Amino acid sequence: MPNCKSKRTIDFMKLLALAVAALIPCIAASPDVDKNKTMGNPNAPLMFELYSDFMCPHCKVMHETILPSIVQDYVKSGKAYLIFREFPLQIPQHVYSRAAAALAVAAGRIGKYQAVNDALFKTQTSWGATGKLWEAVAPVLTPDEQKKVQALANDPSVLAEVQVDVDRGMKAQVNETPTLMITYKMKQQPWAKWADYSFFKSYVDGLLKN
Amino acid sequence: MDFSKTKVLKIAVVVLRVILGGLFAYAGYLKLAQPWQLFAANIAEYQVVPMWAASFIARTLPWFEILLGVMVIVGRWTRTSTVMLSGILLVFFSLMVRAKLQGKEIDCGCFGSGDPISWKTLLRDGSMLAGALFITVMAFRNRRTTA
Repeated sequence: MPNCKSKRTIDFMKLLALAVAALIPCIAASPDVDKNKTMGNPNAPLMFELYSDFMCPHCKVMHETILPSIVQDYVKSGKAYLIFREFPLQIPQHVYSRAAAALAVAAGRIGKYQAVNDALFKTQTSWGATGKLWEAVAPVLTPDEQKKVQALANDPSVLAEVQVDVDRGMKAQVNETPTLMITYKMKQQPWAKWADYSFFKSYVDGLLKN
Repeated sequence: MDFSKTKVLKIAVVVLRVILGGLFAYAGYLKLAQPWQLFAANIAEYQVVPMWAASFIARTLPWFEILLGVMVIVGRWTRTSTVMLSGILLVFFSLMVRAKLQGKEIDCGCFGSGDPISWKTLLRDGSMLAGALFITVMAFRNRRTTA
């Protein structure tokens, strides 16, 4: 027969088990992501997941003109946590998209995701035509980093990470790029209209007021 | 059973009114189910109206579509409602053709977001316009017949 102390221990263990059981769905719901592919505070009220394709011209425009405003208005101010997701479109024109995504993810493994992300979009027109991705990526890496990224780019776990993002996007019904998945209070809203930033801002500011 | 031409036409008009009115009301409902700012951004992509007008249209058009759809279905003010339906569909169709000819890769915005302008959407909206013009003509023809 268990004594009082051991009964307390059993009760504590039961409570602990219940707490863990209650936390499991939360753990499962949290985004599985490499920290190098994120910006901002993970506990921010808003979560933005940006689904991009490195060969998509609209994604280049988004990355170079709209994303800086989003980062300034919501990420740096602690209102939003930004996650970069790979979404290479399966269309014949985007033949190098998946390889570019793999390079970016590989660079992420050594903490160079943002640098490679910027470089790929900046030189999109040239490597998009020639397929010489490495010429775009190499200048932003040291010789040692270059070796690591080249080795990682063909690593099955890196290729799998790209596919995880694609699957996640498909599940969330992302059907075009760039799409920003806005998550607020467990509710998701995809946003893919970037003709005018003010409408996006109006929507997000409205969410934060609620 | 008498299947005269007039009776067949009358049945066709009622069926078309229900289909077109239903589609219009459904399109309005889908737009209301998403943030108005998303529809406004969609309108802005056509680059035909200023931003303030895109905001105004995005806030009011879905309600108007529902009201017009219901009017067309129930047959209230048939001539007015069918003329309005044809007119609005003519505007939508023209804007879509213009965007397609300009090579714009944008959403139609007809039934919420995620519906890019393609030959399929043009065929769909073109068929709706043809149907709307038909019931409009019939509404005026019936008036002349009864007068």
